Order: sequence, then C-alpha cells, then structure tokens
Amino acid sequence: MTGSDRPASSQAAAVFQRRPGLLAWLVLTPLLAWLILFVIVPTIMLVLLSLGEQKGLGTVYFTFTLKNYVRALDWTWLKVLVISVGYAVVTTGICMVIGFPAAYFIGRSSEPLRNVLITLVMIPLWTSFLIRTYAWITILSKDGILNAFLVSARIIPEPIGILYTPFAAVLGLVYNFLPFMILPIYTSVERLDSAVIEAAYDLGASPLRAFSQVIIPLTQPGIVAGALLVFVPSIAMFAITNLMGGGDPPTIGDVIYKQFTSGRNQPFGAALGCLLLLIFFFSLWMTRRQRAE
Amino acid sequence: MKEIARRVVLPFFAVLAFFGCEKTPAPPGATPPASPSPAAASPASPAASRSGESTSDAEKALHIFCWSEYIPQQIVDAFSADTGIKVSMETYSSNEEMLAKLFAGGGNYDIIQPSEYVIEGLIKESLLTPIDHASIPNMKNLAPEFTNMSFDPGNKYSVPYMAGSVGIIVNTEVVQDDIKSYNDVFQEKFAKNIVVLDDAREIVSWGLESLGIPVNEVSDENLAKVKPLLEKWLPLVKVFDSDSPKTALLNGDVALGVVWAGEGAILLNEDEKFKWIVPAEGGHLFVDSLAIPKTAKHVKNAELFINYVLRPDVSAKISEAFPYLNPNLAARELLTPAQRNNPASFPTADQLANMQTFKDIGEQATKIDELVTSLKAQ
Repeated sequence: MTGSDRPASSQAAAVFQRRPGLLAWLVLTPLLAWLILFVIVPTIMLVLLSLGEQKGLGTVYFTFTLKNYVRALDWTWLKVLVISVGYAVVTTGICMVIGFPAAYFIGRSSEPLRNVLITLVMIPLWTSFLIRTYAWITILSKDGILNAFLVSARIIPEPIGILYTPFAAVLGLVYNFLPFMILPIYTSVERLDSAVIEAAYDLGASPLRAFSQVIIPLTQPGIVAGALLVFVPSIAMFAITNLMGGGDPPTIGDVIYKQFTSGRNQPFGAALGCLLLLIFFFSLWMTRRQRAE
Repeated sequence: MKEIARRVVLPFFAVLAFFGCEKTPAPPGATPPASPSPAAASPASPAASRSGESTSDAEKALHIFCWSEYIPQQIVDAFSADTGIKVSMETYSSNEEMLAKLFAGGGNYDIIQPSEYVIEGLIKESLLTPIDHASIPNMKNLAPEFTNMSFDPGNKYSVPYMAGSVGIIVNTEVVQDDIKSYNDVFQEKFAKNIVVLDDAREIVSWGLESLGIPVNEVSDENLAKVKPLLEKWLPLVKVFDSDSPKTALLNGDVALGVVWAGEGAILLNEDEKFKWIVPAEGGHLFVDSLAIPKTAKHVKNAELFINYVLRPDVSAKISEAFPYLNPNLAARELLTPAQRNNPASFPTADQLANMQTFKDIGEQATKIDELVTSLKAQ
C-alpha cells in the first residue's frame, strides 16, 4: 500500500515498517488484554477441564485422564456432531446462494440506493436474535400468521405443521446468519473494478465465463469470509434449532450445554467443546490454504 | 428459549450483584444474637416484620439465587419495603446450573432454592446452614405431608417453598381418546403430535414407571430394560421443551404432552379444551425448598425472608402468579375456589400418595443423559 508513495517519502514508509514501539504496544494493550482474558485463558481452562472428572454433586477433580475424549469419539456423540455439521453446511450453502446475488446487486447499485439497501440488511441485527426467533414462532405455528393466510387464501385446506421441523430450524439459521454472508461479499463486490469486467467482455468472454473466471476469483475473499462467518456459529447454535426445530434431532451445542447442566458432566462437555474447537481450526486452516493457492 | 435470554442477562446481573456486595466488612453473620424476639408472637402482622428488624443482620442486604419464574418480583419488593433489606435476586433454570455456580464460589448467595434430591446431596456434603426454627414461626402453616420429608428429616436445613408434579395434558378438541397413562400418550397415532420435557431424567422416569420400576432404581440393568420402550416413544415426540412446553400446545402445533403441572395449570386457566391427567402409573412429585448455603453472609436476613414468604397472604400471592402445589395450608385457604380446584395445581390426596420423588442418583445421571441423547439422535 505504501509502495506508491515510497519515492516521495521513503523515510516515512520506513518508519511504518519498523518493529512496534512503546506507543504501539500501549495502543494494543486493551486488545491484547481482551484476547488473553477472554480467548486464551478460557481456552486453557476448557482444555484443563476436559482432562478432569466430575464426582458427586459437582466437584471437578483434575485427574488428567483422556477418558472424556475416548468417550467423545463414540458414535452417539459423533452422530450428533455430524447432524450439526450437516445443519451448518446446508445453512452456509443456502446463505451463499441467496447472499451472493443480493450482495452483488447491492454492491453494483448507485451510491444512495446502496446505502439504503445495506442499512436494510443490517436493521434486523439491532434487535436480539431471540426476539426475532420468537417472532418466527408466531408466524410459523399451526395457529400462526402464515397458516392463517394460506388457509384463507385457499392454497391449503387446513393448517400444516411447519414449525418444529428440520426445515424450520434451517429457515431460522439462514434468516439469522444471512447478513453475515451478505456484508463481507458486499465489501468485496464494492471494491470490484468494473473496468476488469468490461475487459473480460472486450476479450470475448461470455457472461458465464466472466462470472466464473473474473468476478468469482476477485470476490473470493468476501465469499470465504462470509462462509466462515456463517458456518462456524451455525454449528454450535442451539437456541434457534431448539426453539424452531423443537430440539429434535439434537445438535452439538445443545448436547454440550446439557453436559454442563443436567448431564452433570462438565469435563465431558469440555471435551466435546474442544472437538468443536478443532473443527473451527480445521475450517480456518482450509480457507487459509485455499487463499494461499 | 427463555433460558438463553437469561444466559445473556445473567452476566449483567452478576455484575450488579458484584456492585451490590459493598465493601462493608462482612459481619459475623453465623453467630447472631439469638434474642427471643417478640416478632415470633405475631408473625402475620406487618408490624411484626418491622419489629423483626431486631433479628436482621447488621448489613441490610440479601442475595437470593432462585428458579426463574418462581418468586414474583412484587413479593421481593414488598419484603424490601417492609424490612429495609436490599434484595438482589439472580435466577437459574436448572438445579445443576445453580450447583455449578455455587461450586464455582461466585455470588455469595444467602438463599438458594434446590429441589429435593439436591437438598439431599447438599446435606451429605455439609454445604447448608442449619435453620433456626425459632426465627421461622410461620413454618406452622405448612401441610404436614410436606414437612419432615425423607430428604431432610425434621427440616433441619430446608423449608418447602412450592411443590409440583409432572403429568399429562391433552387438547380434547384434537384428541378424544381417554388418555390415562404414559403408554396412552406414546401411541403411533399421536406421532409428531407430542411435546415432552427436554429432561433426560424425567423421560427415563416415565419409562421406568410404566414398567413398574421405582424411579430411583436406575441401575444399568434397569436402564437396559427401559431402552427398548424409549426407543419406541422418543421418535413420536415432536417438541422437546422444558422451559415453556405450553407454547407448542397453545399454538396448536401439538395436541398432547407430558409437562410440569405448573404449565398444565396455566393451560387449564387459559382454555377449557385442555384436560389434565395424573398418569395412572403414579407420576413424579418434586418439592422445591428454600435453604441457606454454608457460605451465606446474611443468615438472619435469609431467615426473615423465609418466614416472610410463609406468611399466608404472601404465599397466596405467589400461588396466584405461579400456580404450583402450595404446601402452605393457611395460604390455600385464601385462594379462590377456582385456584384451589385446579386439578393440575392440587392433586387429590390419593394421587399425591402414589407419586414418587427423585433421589440423588450420582453418576448414573451421566448414563441417563447418554441414553436419551443417543435415542433422540437415532
């Protein structure tokens, strides 16, 4: 970035490339403290807890056993993990199919329209997702708004059960995470240089080819970031799947939550949590590798 | 799920509680002057609670850790107005959540509200402060069948707050069959029309009961016996919800279910089409009590509060807000006939005699959780 003005002020550029000084560390301190306190320390606590055993009413003994991990690899729990990953993959896929065209359209619109549209995307985030999920319950339930409309319009003869199905759960997940797909892609599309696309057409590329070989590669950082922002939280999400899916089938977030409460087995819950962390690291590593290629 | 809303709100209250615990040097609350208070003479009059000041702690604060949707805020406010004691209230949505916080040492709670099997465990691990009966004269209002229960003989450590049961609720507009037992609920024809509590121990206990096995005999062998039955039952369930199972019933998404009696009582009040059935197998009775943890700093204030909620007029107000089985006989007399005759709130003496209560089952809880999870994911 600083390369263009280097001839003019190469000394200033050199200053920026020096190792961080005292002031920089001072500015960074809040962030570092936050990271250590709320990311690193809790992760270490989680790993330590996962090596312990819980006895009696709730006392945890640190026995440094691996038996929680051995148990976590049993099919009972792996199956729940597979179900959750399935939910997350489907959610990410649908969000991408809906989110990419939306983000592209917003990014290519005129400035005033663009600002209005992007605000509209963000407005739902001003309300707690729980309240919005409860709103979906009143819409989708058998005595709800949607069924009442469909019946009165004579599209269906009697109310159908939409709520408390895997479909409703995925709907809730897509609804909640869609903005996190649109926003990063929008940022990439906005930076996209129209001249490059025009050049592709001038050189005889079909619209499909221009899309797949120019637009997609250039917006890829946004797509990858969006996919990650949707995939990772939707694996562990259990509020929406419980409220809209009726808690059936169970998801890994729900199972971990229960280990810390009614299952009375915090160390095992921590072991499952560590497995989930590994999946997150794996998906991060995959996207980094992809970017490197 | 309300409980998640609470998880978000909880840290906020934790911070409040932190600031609530002012830097005042904690008084040695454990050994209060046990002066024979005149308050004991006329506990029901408001004047008494004012004279009760003599038996409160030097620091006028009280930290309550209770179930959500169980102690109405207006009761707490009235207590504060009466006694000048500043009350902070934190809530939990499962016994284990409460235990986890208690063991983590946070909060400095003066009152907790565990269920019977947890009281049993807490007494075993000597984590409760014995209760001074002289300062809780209103205990005389409690029904004899709820005092001196097996989990705390002589009520040395706990005072019953509310009790309740688990039973069957049916929307008679949809289901005309005569439902009598758990087996009648879990039938093929009601597939995907059922809501049950999202609670592994509850679900397993229904299976055990219908096989005639006592609910506390959760040996590996008995769990193996229950498994084939639950394998048939659980796929028929549409919604697992412990927090508000009434929602799915009210919205018409399911037609019958096995739910807390408190939820059932609300449904009965809401619409005549709902019918409450105490399962033929007996059912499960739970008793939630007030207790004072060993680490409490305001023991006298806690005892004042316990005595206050046992006042008939106060207890009747609690029943009005949360229609559970009120063990307070004097308060029951103040209820309206409709409240008193709600079959979900107040089972008959015969039904009550047939109900079983949970005992602490230790590490078997883990196996029960695994069994139910694997069947839900099948």
